[in-house]
Amino acid sequence: MKLDPVTLATPLFIITIILEIVAARLGKARANYEPRDTAVSLVMGLGSTMSGVFTAGVVAASTVWVYQHRLFDIPMTAVWAWAAIFVLEDLVYYWFHRISHERRFWWAAHVNHHTSQHYNLSTALRQTWTGGIAGTWSLWLALAFLGFPPAMIATQKGISLVYQYWIHTEVIGRMPRWFEAVFNTPSHHRVHHARNAVYLDRNYAGILIVWDKLFGTFQPELDDVPCKYGVVKNLGTFNILRVAFHEWIAMGADVLKHPRHALGYVFGPPGWSHDGSRETSATLKARANVSAGVGANALDAGAGGQGAEALS
Amino acid sequence: MGDEALIQFALSAAAVAALIALAAWAKIARPVGPLDDARARALLAEEFPGRSVDAVWIASDGAGALARSGGMALVICRFGDGFVARQIPWAQAVSSSFRDGRLSVDLADIAAPRATLSLPSWPPKNLAA
Repeated sequence: MKLDPVTLATPLFIITIILEIVAARLGKARANYEPRDTAVSLVMGLGSTMSGVFTAGVVAASTVWVYQHRLFDIPMTAVWAWAAIFVLEDLVYYWFHRISHERRFWWAAHVNHHTSQHYNLSTALRQTWTGGIAGTWSLWLALAFLGFPPAMIATQKGISLVYQYWIHTEVIGRMPRWFEAVFNTPSHHRVHHARNAVYLDRNYAGILIVWDKLFGTFQPELDDVPCKYGVVKNLGTFNILRVAFHEWIAMGADVLKHPRHALGYVFGPPGWSHDGSRETSATLKARANVSAGVGANALDAGAGGQGAEALS
Repeated sequence: MGDEALIQFALSAAAVAALIALAAWAKIARPVGPLDDARARALLAEEFPGRSVDAVWIASDGAGALARSGGMALVICRFGDGFVARQIPWAQAVSSSFRDGRLSVDLADIAAPRATLSLPSWPPKNLAA
């Protein structure tokens, strides 16, 4: 039995979900749980641990191979090494997460995490079944090439995942200002899960929100724009197989239908189409911005901005 | 799969089942009332900003609505404690299967395959073309 941070934290996941549900039931906390939505989230989480088994060997073997060709010898026992991997792994996570939103091939794997119309602790566990196939794990090979031992990389990845669990909640409003300035928080991550135009493709951070501020993707939660969760075209099924594979199937269908534009349909941004008949995050944001003029509230297309085209 | 992994998986599955049962017991889904004309139009404006709506048909149980917007049909149907919206060609909506007071609309989308709306009749005679 492997004892990585995620496995060790599993009892904490269970206990805190129980607490969130009971607190909401008693009217002590803000949280909504729809049973079938919760079932999908939790079964996706359970399935992701199983699907990970199939690609774990390839990931581990690749990491070890790259580590054998490393630039430096970084000791796993040094404090500075842990400080360095904390920062560098989080930087890798930021770019993994950004590419997972901005290019359809990787979005097909990541979209599962965003398909709930709810934002509660169970949503955190709605994880992909196809991440190994999408190959985004290869981004972390850079750390092995630098010389970080594979076990150290795996541990830090686990720590990052566990950190990101607690921010999937509406129970916590805002953390102290200094904390919000440096770290990813429930408020920042609510923005990330929202489908309002102003919030699309923002706040990719894992632990440190500073990456979004550095790379221009930061968006604070606006008091006058309540988050509406889910994806631009929300799911209309609780069928777990459709939930897990719908974007892969849709992408395959687009490629078969328009083979000359296959590259665009696979590696273009989600919503890209060869004839411009669909909308990407960029076009949605631009339309909301143009139609609404200035003002944060007006930027929210979901709240009734006057656009020229419908969501498609 | 080794014994330890099997036990770990079984315990996780049991925990998942218990949490789903707890969520069902708690009854803390969002309250979602039936759609009326004003609410349906507001929802259509949210989901299809800028689209003009020529006519709206509200499901008799308030669980959805279908609107005509030029050559397109805008469909909203309840999903869990929320709503899902899609647009399809009007002709496709008109030719949808209608039986026993239920309109079954093929949304042609793997992620939202079908919407079912309770309506007194279909298609509307004056707007079928």
